[in-house]
Amino acid sequence: MILRQTYAMLLDQYRELSARKLFWITLALSLLVVALYGSFGINERGLTFFHWQFDTSPFDSNRIEPSLLYKFIFANLAVPIWLTWIATILALISTASIIPDFIAGGSVELTLSKPIGRTRLLLTKFASGLLFVMLQVGAFAVASFLVIGIRGGDWEPRIFLSIPIVVVFFSYLFAFAVFFGLLTRSTLASLMLTALVWVLLFGVNLADGILVQQAEARRLEVAIYEQRLELRSNAALDTWRSQLESGLVEGDPENPPQGEALDAFNPLLAGVRSELEGRERAFEGQNKWANRIMLVKTVLPKTSETIGLLNRNLISLDELASFMPGDDDDEPVDVESFVQRRAEGGGRERIGGDTASQAVMNARVEERFRARTDFWVLGTSLGFEVVLLAICCLIFARRDF
Amino acid sequence: MSDTVSETTAADSNSSELALDLRGVAKTYKGRVQALRGIDLRVRRGEVFGLLGPNGAGKSTLVKIMMTVIRPTRCEGSMLGAPVGYRPALGRVGYLPEHHRFPGYLTGRQVVDHYGRLLNVPRIERRRRTDDLLDFVHMREWADQKVAKYSKGMRQRVGLAQALVADPDLVLLDEPTDGVDPLGRREIRDMLHALKERGKTVFLNSHLLSELEMVCDRVAILVKGLVASQGRIEDLTAGQSRYEVLLGGEPTTAADRAKSALTSRLAPDPETAHSFGRLGSGESVEWRDDRLWIATTDAEAVQPILDALRGAGVSIREFAPRKPSLEDLFMQALGGSPTDSPGADRPAKPSKSAPPRGHAAEEASR
Repeated sequence: MILRQTYAMLLDQYRELSARKLFWITLALSLLVVALYGSFGINERGLTFFHWQFDTSPFDSNRIEPSLLYKFIFANLAVPIWLTWIATILALISTASIIPDFIAGGSVELTLSKPIGRTRLLLTKFASGLLFVMLQVGAFAVASFLVIGIRGGDWEPRIFLSIPIVVVFFSYLFAFAVFFGLLTRSTLASLMLTALVWVLLFGVNLADGILVQQAEARRLEVAIYEQRLELRSNAALDTWRSQLESGLVEGDPENPPQGEALDAFNPLLAGVRSELEGRERAFEGQNKWANRIMLVKTVLPKTSETIGLLNRNLISLDELASFMPGDDDDEPVDVESFVQRRAEGGGRERIGGDTASQAVMNARVEERFRARTDFWVLGTSLGFEVVLLAICCLIFARRDF
Repeated sequence: MSDTVSETTAADSNSSELALDLRGVAKTYKGRVQALRGIDLRVRRGEVFGLLGPNGAGKSTLVKIMMTVIRPTRCEGSMLGAPVGYRPALGRVGYLPEHHRFPGYLTGRQVVDHYGRLLNVPRIERRRRTDDLLDFVHMREWADQKVAKYSKGMRQRVGLAQALVADPDLVLLDEPTDGVDPLGRREIRDMLHALKERGKTVFLNSHLLSELEMVCDRVAILVKGLVASQGRIEDLTAGQSRYEVLLGGEPTTAADRAKSALTSRLAPDPETAHSFGRLGSGESVEWRDDRLWIATTDAEAVQPILDALRGAGVSIREFAPRKPSLEDLFMQALGGSPTDSPGADRPAKPSKSAPPRGHAAEEASR
């Protein structure tokens, strides 16, 4: 009985969406993108596109398995660019009208007057929007699965992870579209406001990335200067001991001078100390902001991280490393020896200014981001969505039409 | 009025005979617009009931409250024995909203089928009824065309079909003939008669008296969110029926000549400005809208007046019985006069079904 009504609503929504040209245009574009994607290839000489051969050594099949190339393109180009930007914009344009059309005068009365609860009506409408995206991503995933299988020789079922991940990502935005659609009753207004929210989320994400990077750079600098201060202090202490032995200074060998008292025995010590203090203050300031943004992010839906889950789950870090030029001889980044090396030097430290320090910083940033678990990413985002939908249901249930 | 009261008492004693029993339904929108100010209505099972009122009187609001589309500020009473607003009961109610819009991408058949699904009509039943109903509303030929191609009248007929798909006991139709041409109106009227024969209770909203009087057993008049009067149309219009005489010549001279011909034959009527006097039986003879109004439906009683006019050489261009217009009924329900002329008074003989204002308010707020 409940199924019949739900089926009727979903069927109606499918009919409505498929009655529009945009539905078919989006689907056709999706398949075109997969076709293009399948036209790429890799052999022992480098990349190919249709019958064109590009000499892209060292990117050749000796270094990169064809299946890995496809997976990499899928997780790094197809999903984050095509599915999460272009296809999502098309999907939002298609589905932003669902709620305004549904609550339009003359049409909503017909549905509200049936023995179906309003909360159920709204949630079914919400689900029907997601169903649309599921169809589109589903077609895309199946086509990609075939391309990776046929062209890459690797039948990779994890490709289908993109369906739930993209649907969940879209659901964050669509919940906003539903909310604004209910409030404004206008497709255009709802679309614009949703786009604005998306841009804001993107901005928060960008700010988070920059602040975490800056905080980690300062943290490394603090570590380097702490180490350097220790090295220089030890050197000053050695100077003090030799001077004590030669009677140049007086003192208790059991109770050597500490802190600033050592400055007299090493001319560089005071400079290192004041640098350290400066970096500590900078780190505290930037880390405070990084933590604040993190708090904000905890509350908000995390669009980029959700899409990032696919990358995390599809390609391992080792596999990812084979795409980094010139990295194959490097040892895995060792932060301790890097800090030690830099501490022994004497120059002014600025992390991020050179490639070596960048690699270490990126490793630390990656570590910090990886500490944000799948559960945190999905749980807090879905939590936000549930609250937003609850507000939508409340508005919808209490409104007179 | 005594009729209405005794009806109410009878209804109270057996509420299962009532398809609708509304008490004190009120709705105040945000911004303190009072759409309904306490509606009392009783509709018996199997009757065709009309709710008559000007645009903005609150007719659609009342129907929407019954269909849970609008939340009432205050509402007691029942629909098909269940409290108003009890959602499962909506399965037994058919509804055709005003200005409805069916999705243009559906065919007529799909529209009926879709709402049948939402009403939980099982598939086999739904198929059979869809065919029957499309026949019933004369849409079989067009059933598989997209709604977007339909004329207003066709949409209205498909709307009627979807309202009937669950074989409801009660059908609420909000302005079903709105925008439909005269032939279409007649067809819809025939359908309503057929529904009544099938034992359905039909609740009809309209701002056209002519629409309602041909099909309704009883009507209520809604004015500014209050039921001004309710009862059988004949009763509501009885006191307002009259003969009108259109005289030849220029209206003011015609009026003077008629007045001089008639005043000596009529009993004086000092209360009314327009009155020439009263007939022996008490009905007033007045000059209104460039015509002579004789407040009686008895043709015999009018003959002496016509004789007197002709005797005085006044030519008669037209002589006909007239029923009151909707506007007359509204004005009467509001406690005003049949026309909007300043200083005009109420008809000489107050009708039993058209109470004066105070009474109406009392009835409505009870």
